[in-house]
Amino acid sequence: MFGGLKAKLQAARSRLGSSIQTVITAPAGAGTGGGQPEPGPKMEKSAVPPEPEQPTIVEKFKVLLIERELIVSEKDVADALSELELTLLESDVALPATDAIIAHVRKSLVGKHRKIGESVDSLVVGALKAALLKVLGKGFDLLDYIRTHPRPVKILFTGVNGTGKTTTVAKIGSYLKKQGFSVVIGAGDTYRAGAIEQIGVHAERLGIKVIQHPEGGDPSAVLFDAVQYAQSHKIDVVLADTAGRFHNKANLMSQLDKIKRVMKPDLVVYVDEAVAGNDAVTRAFEFDKTIGADAVVLTKADMDSRGGAAISIAHTIGKPLMFLGTGQSYDDIALFEPARVVEELLGDT
Amino acid sequence: MLDGLSSSLKDALKKLAGKTVIDRTAVDELVKDLQRALISSDVNVKLVMELSKAVRTRSLEEEPLKGMTVREHVLRIVYQELVRLVWASTDVKLEPQTILMAGLQGSGKTTTTAKLARYFQKKGMKVAVICADTFRPGAFDQISTLCTRIHVPCYGNPLEKDALKITRDGFAALKDQELIIVDTQGRHALEADLIKEIIDLNNLTKATHRWLVIDAALGQQASEQARRFHEAINIDGVIITKMDGTAKGGGAMSAVAETKSGIAFIGSGETIEDLERFDPDGFISRLLGMGDLRALMEKASEAIKPEDVDMNAMMKGKFTLRDMYKQLEALNKMGPLKQIMGMLPLGNMELPEGVYDVTSTKMVRYRIIMDSMTPKELDDPSLINSSRMQRIAHGAGATPDEVRELLKYYKMMQRTLKGLRGASGGKFNMQRLMKRFSGMQ
Repeated sequence: MFGGLKAKLQAARSRLGSSIQTVITAPAGAGTGGGQPEPGPKMEKSAVPPEPEQPTIVEKFKVLLIERELIVSEKDVADALSELELTLLESDVALPATDAIIAHVRKSLVGKHRKIGESVDSLVVGALKAALLKVLGKGFDLLDYIRTHPRPVKILFTGVNGTGKTTTVAKIGSYLKKQGFSVVIGAGDTYRAGAIEQIGVHAERLGIKVIQHPEGGDPSAVLFDAVQYAQSHKIDVVLADTAGRFHNKANLMSQLDKIKRVMKPDLVVYVDEAVAGNDAVTRAFEFDKTIGADAVVLTKADMDSRGGAAISIAHTIGKPLMFLGTGQSYDDIALFEPARVVEELLGDT
Repeated sequence: MLDGLSSSLKDALKKLAGKTVIDRTAVDELVKDLQRALISSDVNVKLVMELSKAVRTRSLEEEPLKGMTVREHVLRIVYQELVRLVWASTDVKLEPQTILMAGLQGSGKTTTTAKLARYFQKKGMKVAVICADTFRPGAFDQISTLCTRIHVPCYGNPLEKDALKITRDGFAALKDQELIIVDTQGRHALEADLIKEIIDLNNLTKATHRWLVIDAALGQQASEQARRFHEAINIDGVIITKMDGTAKGGGAMSAVAETKSGIAFIGSGETIEDLERFDPDGFISRLLGMGDLRALMEKASEAIKPEDVDMNAMMKGKFTLRDMYKQLEALNKMGPLKQIMGMLPLGNMELPEGVYDVTSTKMVRYRIIMDSMTPKELDDPSLINSSRMQRIAHGAGATPDEVRELLKYYKMMQRTLKGLRGASGGKFNMQRLMKRFSGMQ
C-alpha cells in the first residue's frame, strides 16, 4: 500500500519544485542584468487587474533586491497543483479530500517568501507533508487504550457489506491474544448465511471463545451475552462482530443503534476497504453520524498500492486509523502510523 | 456533498440553457463539472479525461440538430458518449452453459451466485452451483444455505482444499443439470497463485461465461484489477453489486471499458431476488447524479400523445382508475416507473418503495382487470364492493385478491400524487414540472 501514491507524489513534488524554480530564475536574471526581460511585462498585465494584493513584479524586485527573497505566486504553482490534484484523484483520494489538500498546499505555498539560498524542494515537501499530516491525524494505539481502561474493553465493529469485518475481528483477536490479553468474540452477524460458521471456524483456529446464537437471532442479545460472559470470566476484551449494512438502510442502522445501547461499547471501530472510491466518504460520514466511530480499520490494503481511501476517510470523519488489513492470514495486520507513512511517502528515495 | 456536485453540473447546464450559439467558455465549464461529477462517481480518471475531451470536441465541432438548444445538444453528446462506454450488451441465453464467477474478496460473489441461480431457475432452467471457495471459512455453509432456500442443488466439500478437484467432482455429480454456476474464492490481481488457480478453473470448466463481480464502491483500482482478470481468463461480462448503497458504480464502468465487455446484471439488495438486468439510462443518470430529463423528453414525446394523460386533472387530485389505465399504457411504452421517476429532477425526494413494485407483467394484468370494469367503476373506484369485485375478477380471469391489490396500488398512486402536490412549495414545483412535461408532448 501507498507505493503507487509515493511514486506519483515524488513526481508531483519535483514538478512543483521546478515550476517555482523556473519562474524565479527569470526575474533573478533580470535583476542583475538591468534590462527588461520578456516575461516581466506580461506577468504584470495578468497579475494587476484581478488581484491587487498579488505582489506585482516591481514588488518582487524590491523583495529580491532588499531582502534577497522571492515570493511564490499563485500562477507559479497553478499547473503543478492541478497535476497534483489529478495524482491524488487517481490514487482514490475522494474529491472533497483532494480539494482540501490542494487548498492547504496552495495556501501554504502562495505568497511565501523564499530566501534565495533555500531549496525549493524543501519548501514544497514541507507544504505537502503538512497537508497530509493534517488530514491523516494521529494513529490509534489500541494496546495502550486497553491497558488504561477498565476491563472488559468492549469493541464494536461496524461497516458496509463485504469490507472484511469478520476477518478483521479474527485478526485483531489473534493480535490481542499474542499481546497477552484474553479475548471473547460475539458473533453478532446473525443475518448472512454462513457468517456464524465463518467466525466460529476462525475462533476455533485461534483458540478464542466465541458466543453465538442461531442464525436469525437478535444481534443485540448475542453481544449482550458476550459482554456478560466476559464480565463473569474476567476476560480483557470483547470483540463484537456485526452484519454488514448499508448506511442508507434506516432499519438496519437503527438495529445497530440498539446494539450500541445494549452492549455499550467502549470503542466503535469502523471497517472499510482500501479499494473503495468516493463512496468511502459518504458511508464513513453516515456511519460516524448515526453510530459514531472512534477508530478506523482499512482492509484489503494489499490490493491497492495507492491508499487514497485512508486519506478520504480520515479527512471526512477525522478519526484515527488503527490498523491496515494486508492479506489473508491472521498476521496480515499492520499498525497505522501516519507520521511514518507520510515520511515514507515524501522522504528521499 | 454529492448533491452539491450534481447541482454544480446542473448549474453549468443552466448556463447553456438560454444560449443559441455554442459558447466555448460555457462548454469548457460544463466539461470541467462533468469531469468532477464522473470522478466523484469513481470513474477512472484517465477514462474521464478521454471522455471529456471527446465531449468537448464534439460539442464545439458538431452542429446542433435542428430545433435543439445548445444545452440539449451538449447533453445529448454527453449521454451518447457515456452510453457508448457502457452499452455493450451481454447476451444472456437460456441454454445449457457454465458460468465462472470471479472477483475481489468481499465483492459479493457468493450472494450473486445464489441470485443468478434463482434468476435462471425462474426462467425454467435446471440450475446447480459448485462451491469452489476452499479458503474462506463458512463459504460452503453460506452458499448451501442459500441454495437450499431456493431448492437448487449445490456441490461442495468444506474439508477438501483443492478447488480443482471439487469442481471436477462437482461436474460429475451434477452432470444432468443444464446450467452450472461455479462460485470461486475472492482474489485480487496481485495474488499470483490464486490467479493461476482461476486460470486452471477456467480451463477445466471450459466456462461459457466468465463474469467479474465488482462492488459498486470500488474506486480507481477497478480498471487495473479488471485488466488483470481479463488477461487471465478473458472476462466477458461484469456484474455490479451493492448498488443499493450510495456508491455510483463508476469503478465498475471503468472495468467494463477495460474488458470491452458489458454489464450483465446489477445486484441491489440483500434478498435472493434482488438482481436486475442492466439498464444503461438509469445507470448513467445515477453516475451523473442527475435525472436524465432529456432522455425522458425524447421518450415522452414518442410515447405519449396529448390526450393520453391529463396532467392537470391528475394534479387537481382527480386521479381516477381511468387515468391510471392511461398512465400504465404510457409507462409501458416508456419503461419502468422507477426509471422514469429517476429521470425527473426530483432531487432526493423519497417516494414510497411500493410505488415501484409494479412490474411490467403486473401492469399488463392490471390493464386486463381494468378492462373488465364498467366506465362508472373506472371513474369512481369507491363503487367497487365485493360483488362487483367478484364480477370483475371473473371477467378478467383473475382472483378477487388481484383486484384488491390493484385498488391498493391505485390508492397508493393517488396518495403519492397528492404528496407530490404538497411538496410543490419546496425545492421544486411539481405542477410546473408536470405542465412542462405535458407541454412537450
